Amino acid sequence: MITAWINSHLLTLLVFAPLLWGAALMPMEERQAPLVKLLGLLGSSGILAVAAIQLLRMQPDPAGQICAERFAWFTVVGIPVDYHLAVDGLNLWLVLLTTFLVPVTLLGTWNSLPRRAGTAVALFLMLETGMLGALVAQDLLVFYLFWEAMLLPMYFLIGMWGGDERQYAATKFVLFTLSGSLLWLVALLFLAGKAGSFAPEVMAQAVSRLPAGTADVLFLAFALAFAIKVPMFPLHTWLPDAHTQAPTGGSVLLAGVLLKLGSYGFLRFAVPMFPDAAVHFARLLAVLSVVAIVYGALVAMAQTDIKRLVAYSSVSHMGFVMLGIASMTVIGTQGAMLQMLNHGISTGALFLLVGMLYDRAHTRRIADFGGVALRMPIFTTFFVIVTLSSIGLPLTNGFVGEFLILNGTYGSGFPWGRVLACVGTLGVLLSAVYMLWMVKRVFWGPANAQEDSGTARLHADLDSREIAVMLPIVALIFWMGVHPQTFLASSEAQVGRMLSLAGAPAPAPPPRLAAEVRP
Amino acid sequence: MTPTPAELSALMPLLIPALGACLLPIAALDRDQATVKWIRGSMFFIALLALAGGFLYLTRLWASGAQPTYGALRMDRLAQFGGIFVVVAASLAVLQLWDHLHQEGWVKGETLSLLLFSVVGMILFAATGNLLLLFLALELLSLPLYALTATVRMRARALEGGMKYFLTGAVASAFFLMGSVLLYGATGSLDITVIGARLGQAGPLDPIALAGAALLLLGFLFKMSVVPFHQWTPDVYEAAPHPIAGFMSVATKGVALLALLRVLAAGLPAVAPRLQSALAVLAVLTLILGNLAALAQVSVKRMLAYSSISHAGYLLLGLVAATPAAYAGMLYYLLAYLAMNMGAFGVLAAFGLVGDEVTFDHLRGLGWKRPGLGIAATLCMFSLAGLPPMAGFYGKYMIFKELILQGHIALAVLGVLASLVSVYYYLALPVALFLAKPTERQEREAAERPAVVAPLAGATVFICGFLVLVLGLMPGTIVDGFARSAAQETLQIHPPGW
Repeated sequence: MITAWINSHLLTLLVFAPLLWGAALMPMEERQAPLVKLLGLLGSSGILAVAAIQLLRMQPDPAGQICAERFAWFTVVGIPVDYHLAVDGLNLWLVLLTTFLVPVTLLGTWNSLPRRAGTAVALFLMLETGMLGALVAQDLLVFYLFWEAMLLPMYFLIGMWGGDERQYAATKFVLFTLSGSLLWLVALLFLAGKAGSFAPEVMAQAVSRLPAGTADVLFLAFALAFAIKVPMFPLHTWLPDAHTQAPTGGSVLLAGVLLKLGSYGFLRFAVPMFPDAAVHFARLLAVLSVVAIVYGALVAMAQTDIKRLVAYSSVSHMGFVMLGIASMTVIGTQGAMLQMLNHGISTGALFLLVGMLYDRAHTRRIADFGGVALRMPIFTTFFVIVTLSSIGLPLTNGFVGEFLILNGTYGSGFPWGRVLACVGTLGVLLSAVYMLWMVKRVFWGPANAQEDSGTARLHADLDSREIAVMLPIVALIFWMGVHPQTFLASSEAQVGRMLSLAGAPAPAPPPRLAAEVRP
Repeated sequence: MTPTPAELSALMPLLIPALGACLLPIAALDRDQATVKWIRGSMFFIALLALAGGFLYLTRLWASGAQPTYGALRMDRLAQFGGIFVVVAASLAVLQLWDHLHQEGWVKGETLSLLLFSVVGMILFAATGNLLLLFLALELLSLPLYALTATVRMRARALEGGMKYFLTGAVASAFFLMGSVLLYGATGSLDITVIGARLGQAGPLDPIALAGAALLLLGFLFKMSVVPFHQWTPDVYEAAPHPIAGFMSVATKGVALLALLRVLAAGLPAVAPRLQSALAVLAVLTLILGNLAALAQVSVKRMLAYSSISHAGYLLLGLVAATPAAYAGMLYYLLAYLAMNMGAFGVLAAFGLVGDEVTFDHLRGLGWKRPGLGIAATLCMFSLAGLPPMAGFYGKYMIFKELILQGHIALAVLGVLASLVSVYYYLALPVALFLAKPTERQEREAAERPAVVAPLAGATVFICGFLVLVLGLMPGTIVDGFARSAAQETLQIHPPGW
């Protein structure tokens, strides 16, 4: 009986369990910090276990939906709002990624939140509620509510535990994101008035009745909100500040999940609801994405702070994701889906590793290091593996995603596809340059001889807790690199349906990539 | 002529607080004894009893569905809504005053008595369409507030604020009276429904009547602190004790809006469309000026004053949209505003901050001392900023949605941008409470004396934080069960009186 209840309310349970658990942990006293962290870790691991076991066990129905919950929530003056949550091929792996990253973050930053650990753990769990809710919400107003609800825990995580400029960075983060989402709200309300509903499929019908110009404006309003979150060039300027100032755990979840919600918003709402406008603006999106790939990589090369470098590499990598979506091909979009997971794991892991280094050396300047490999061989091993995955070495996850995206872009029916794919490939090269150059300066060579250098402060290699955090990540990196079909199979049919509705120009060569992807 | 039972039931919501107001000065007759605990207790007890009586009577009236009238006094749905709104705001203010006045060293019997008289005036203001009675109510609610602003009258700034409020308020009242005179001259009636019917009959609108309606409007807009009639607001809020400032910001604005709905939207359908573009311009000015000026404030109460100006702008936008759904949204907005603004002012009293200048620096790190209180106040601020899922979001949501449906997309975009700006200054309070480190001097002082917390005021902040969440989680229930019926029934069924 309990299992039946759990199965029918699985999504509500998954979404709100972290919130309740966090609220229960929040009032615990400062001296019980270890207990709070342990309970937070256990709670989020339990949520991961429930999500993984239940969601992977369920079989999708013909429409691709794995699990859903729907009932009328409230009606305010004529427009009903449905409490509609669902997991399908598009968000299954993102949900699992989120539930995976939260316990990883808690374990990975065990010692780096010296003050008020209970509140921090509670905020992480509340953030999980916001992220999961936004991922599974199918009603646009519910999505909007969760979308905004994510802001507040992240605001406090950056603002309370961040670096010296934390208030500036936290406020910038909130204002940037809100400026997009509030304008989007206007578009949403306009559309809801036309459609009489917040359900995306009903809204899509309303859009098809609107004049093309109006639909274009509405699409741009949607795109603006999502593009700020991704972040797409030139709306990315909040990201380096937020990442540099955020505590390690905040950075991991920001890069790992929050950014994905922007590209996920494109996939879930903007493209299916405005198919014509999406095709119309595909070139703009693709050009901005390629600019982000190259620009992000060039700026990353010039950074002196490791964390800031990783932040700019995020801009570059998310450019790939958006390029895949803009290609409007099944291969490219599938690549974008995979690249979202890749980036969540690789960049999340990079932020964790940078955090581990910072905990020991209390500096993140590249110039303060040198010869770290001599002092911390295990750490170096993990860092290099993650670096190679971030660069996109074959057999790691990064390769598959970038390959699919560039392939899809090259083969798309758009006239600009081949040119942009070529320019985008430059980004792969550049990512190798900035990452490997950073690795060379930090890890290889003789130990930094200066007395007070970062290397001199490194006394201990990774302990068993930190190794336990990194092992599953490395396992995932290789799994996704060797057998990406695990992560691609669930979304293939759905993406195909979505794009056939969009009526994008047909891909030039036949998309027979399956033989290469399936080993 | 003795009133019949039905007529008496229309009067009772006024009589109960009035009785309390008359009793209170007797309880505090021996002024020096007011600091004695049991006398102080009995004073607050009488005030709360009178307010609770009014609340119970009004809710019973609401539940029974009766809408009694007594002459020009109409205790209809809108009036009952207004009465409940005012009584709740006043009760929260009284609870907050309990410790605050003591900490200010200024416990006097007349404070609560004046507050109750003002409550009577406010309930009457929302319950009549007769211009003469409206003027009477306007004065009855305003005069006690002028005095209340200067409650701590040994302080120069309090006197200054009270005087400013009195002088500007008197001018606004004069405009209101002038408008009534012009409307009476044009139509020969004081009842707004009759005026509306006569103006609606014959071809072109009498310019005298239009001028009268505009002057009348000015009186309401002054009370709502709409730009350019807002200049008194920051000084007055800063001068008044925090709970009084909160009460003024919520209750005065609320009943002025309700009366405006009754007079303009329901009473003068022929004139209202002519004033719509003027209202839109004023709303835009209010939003821009209120939000931009709030950005620059270091004093919490001045920030809240400009924020209350900007909220008048959002409410006016609902009047521009001018649909029943927008009116229902405005009433919901008022309920949300009641909770969040009483919480925002209440937290200052709860932390035992006294004096007329409370800056954000005074609040540094206090959130960690009382996390529950800090969280409740933070919820109120997020709600003021219009972040979901707090109540403030749905208030704006409903008004913006109606604006968009009516085709005023530019106004909606402006409103949305204004609330984006507002996030910055509303965040300043949680930033001070939780993010900022206390200065060394503050830490030393905090070590010397423990953080003073006013328990009753703290409880009101909790209630407000809770309300903000509850209203936000079930907006449909509130709107359908409460706001919509108040708006629709009154705006449609409005029989002429005498």
